[in-house]
Amino acid sequence: MSVTTTGHEGPQENGRNVEAVAGHHETREQRDFKERFALWLFITGDALFLVMELFFWFYLRALNTNGLWRGVNCSKANACVDGLGNPITHSIPKANPWYSVGIAALVVVAALLIWAVERAARTSEKRSIVSGLAGLSALVLLAAIALQCYQFGKVPFTTIQGTYASTYLFFMGSTLGHLILLGFLAIGFWNRARVGKFDNGQWHHLRLFRIFAVWIALSAVILTAVSSLFA
Amino acid sequence: MTTAEAPALLEDTKLGPRAGGLYRRQNIFTGLGLGILLGFVGWVLSHQFLQGSNWGTDMVVTVTMVGWVLGFNIGMGSLNAPIRWLLGHDQSYDDELYAAGVEQGKARYWKFCTDHKVVGTQYLVLVMLLFGVGGTLAMMMRTQLITPHSSFLSANTYNAIVSVHGMVMIIATIIMVSGPFANFIMPIMIGAKDMAFPRLNALSFWLIASAIPPMIATFFLGGVDAGWTTYAPLSVQAPAAMDAFSMTMITFVLSVTIAGVNTIVTVFTMRAKGMSLTRLPIFTWGTVVGSALSIYAMPALLLGFTAMITDRVTGTSFYVAAVGGTGWLWENIFWIFGHPEVYIILIPPVAAMLEVASTFARKPIFGYKVIIAGFAAISVLSLMVWAHHMFTTGWAPDLAGPFMLTTELISIPTGIIFLCIIGTLWKGRIWTRLPMYFVYLFLWNFIIGGITGIYLSDVPADQYFHGDMFVTAHFHYTLLGGAMIAATAALCYWFPKITGKMLNERIGKVAFWIIAISIQITYFGQFWEGFQGMPRRVAYYDPIFLRANQMTSVGGYLLMAGWLVFLYAMIHSIRHGKVAPANPWHAKSLEWKVPTPVPLVNFLVDPVVTSDPYGYGEPDPEVAAGQPGIGDPEQELVPTLSSDHPTAGGES
Repeated sequence: MSVTTTGHEGPQENGRNVEAVAGHHETREQRDFKERFALWLFITGDALFLVMELFFWFYLRALNTNGLWRGVNCSKANACVDGLGNPITHSIPKANPWYSVGIAALVVVAALLIWAVERAARTSEKRSIVSGLAGLSALVLLAAIALQCYQFGKVPFTTIQGTYASTYLFFMGSTLGHLILLGFLAIGFWNRARVGKFDNGQWHHLRLFRIFAVWIALSAVILTAVSSLFA
Repeated sequence: MTTAEAPALLEDTKLGPRAGGLYRRQNIFTGLGLGILLGFVGWVLSHQFLQGSNWGTDMVVTVTMVGWVLGFNIGMGSLNAPIRWLLGHDQSYDDELYAAGVEQGKARYWKFCTDHKVVGTQYLVLVMLLFGVGGTLAMMMRTQLITPHSSFLSANTYNAIVSVHGMVMIIATIIMVSGPFANFIMPIMIGAKDMAFPRLNALSFWLIASAIPPMIATFFLGGVDAGWTTYAPLSVQAPAAMDAFSMTMITFVLSVTIAGVNTIVTVFTMRAKGMSLTRLPIFTWGTVVGSALSIYAMPALLLGFTAMITDRVTGTSFYVAAVGGTGWLWENIFWIFGHPEVYIILIPPVAAMLEVASTFARKPIFGYKVIIAGFAAISVLSLMVWAHHMFTTGWAPDLAGPFMLTTELISIPTGIIFLCIIGTLWKGRIWTRLPMYFVYLFLWNFIIGGITGIYLSDVPADQYFHGDMFVTAHFHYTLLGGAMIAATAALCYWFPKITGKMLNERIGKVAFWIIAISIQITYFGQFWEGFQGMPRRVAYYDPIFLRANQMTSVGGYLLMAGWLVFLYAMIHSIRHGKVAPANPWHAKSLEWKVPTPVPLVNFLVDPVVTSDPYGYGEPDPEVAAGQPGIGDPEQELVPTLSSDHPTAGGES
């Protein structure tokens, strides 16, 4: 491989050339592209995780081993066995879908608010507006996390009662994990907006946050739709 | 800019007095300390509050292991930047310099260091440690099997060793090239100053490092006696060791996914000017394909082991048929990961070996674009072959034919790549140095491993061979005889660049011959066992298998001895070896154009690439300029990064 050299003016920080660490020699746009690319790859991995979760749901539902998807064959005369070896003598009721719908709705609202945060920063709104919207999105996400935790106490089954119960609770856990991650980011973005880290020249991380939030909202909607419509 | 100006840039790497902040106080000891502390806190709390529940012990072990992994990484400094970010602060330039290891000497190898060369070296040491652990376990298995009813190990201990040997070796082989060489070499190859995300790079290493102690802990928690594939329901019923094993796998998945994303982004966004995709060294393509497959395959494993933990810790019923689940679900999920994983292991070393073949044959790579297409075809097909591992399980018999077809199809691009390797060597002026020895050994072993794989893809043949030692011999020929030998060729090739010393070829060749011969003894022995019908994963066997087992065990001991001699060659060379010139092989890719040891910024001046990396036989501008030339293998090439002479050819 033949190489030649090229002189160029490196970026400066406090009068020093700051090329020695990766990232410092790049423009904002280059770094932004790199970060968006990485985010999309992570989202691809997460989407495949979601697809596998759906595979769990539909495969176990179709297989319905020993009638224990929702215990449809279980009765006093034909008792099934739960994860502790205790008899199940009745079918497992469906979970109330409105909790999941409510959580998904809150995440969608949070994603829209995050979109508004990005827009506000890009259009040079006041710092208070940007931080206010960011704070609001964090609050909505905290409400979604609280509702998700509340739902754990309200489902009419426990983990040991067959595969429908197991998978439904797994979906809830998966959504909660995503919400905690998004909530962490939301609090960070609110705090950074509060100290003036975003303006019309510094909004690229908000775009990443928006893309990720939209993806989380979409995955919450998909999980809610599947668990509600295909029980 | 010329090299005369370059030192000015390096002077800018002097640290301020407060550089590093918290990083200054963090190293592997704080990592170990906080990891043990949080693990202990997790153990105490879970013991106090969860022990009484139905899954108490499993919960205690899981919480303890989560505490360990979190604590270790917090103690190492992996989470410093995210926490500072959350608090509204950014890393200063001095902090990043400190994190990159500036002014820390060898201590940086024990810290959260973001320099890709340090991370690559850390991976190399970790991989060798893992091979040491896996190899020792293999020796214990072979000692048990040297007589039919040995009392060296109990059956349960033997099974636990089988499981940990298998998974430790899988982890080690997955990272054996993508860890050391994709970190140390690949960024330099493409003209980058570092990986795209240096902190994520260091995080991926320390995550995987923190995953190993839980794996070792399994031996003290009752052992994982479910085999390395941890088939359900055995794994759901296994002792608490299975919880630690699952934590290892989950942490490993996170590490590999992060590393895969980092690699892909680095290649596609950080190439030097003129480094078009068709000028990318083939090794770079190999790492990209391996990383892309990781992003596809790893989520399946993550979900599989997360569901395994919930089955064990909260009583869900995904994998146990008695309570509504099915073992087939685990098998599907495991092999949706498991077969692409074979190519995650295989493709990067093969690509690295192609670099070796081209350099020592003094020829361009034969069928460069065909090989890339072959990698892509293998990747796509590998997504559609997983059920060939399940031919005998009774799952979806109607799909056996299609899966047999896709499996056999995959041998076509594999065969084409194999022919391209031979085509690269064909009529070359081969310079037979130690790396080339391993290329030849790869070709021999991979033919055997590959062809026996075609037998196994055939449904009727698989009915006979499945679950016996023939399968074991096949995948050892492929993964050890193929991938690991190719990785060893790459290690011999890049050893001078990584360590700054020439590898002692005299000792290396002794190791080579022991390894080459003992591989044949060991795994032909296993084929023999398989043809006789000896099942896998048994601690005791019928005396009719005695001769084959003795042959395998003797071969195994020799193989271990060969690797130890190779290790000695490395250590001896690092301590007493000849100082390596910048380009001892007179190769043309960019990593050989930088000085050895490689400076922090890799390139003191930005390279502009004006030709492909395999232009052997073409007029070289350095030769034309009167410098020692690539075309003369007897002369050592002076580092020539700073050629001030215009190069031939146009930019892309």
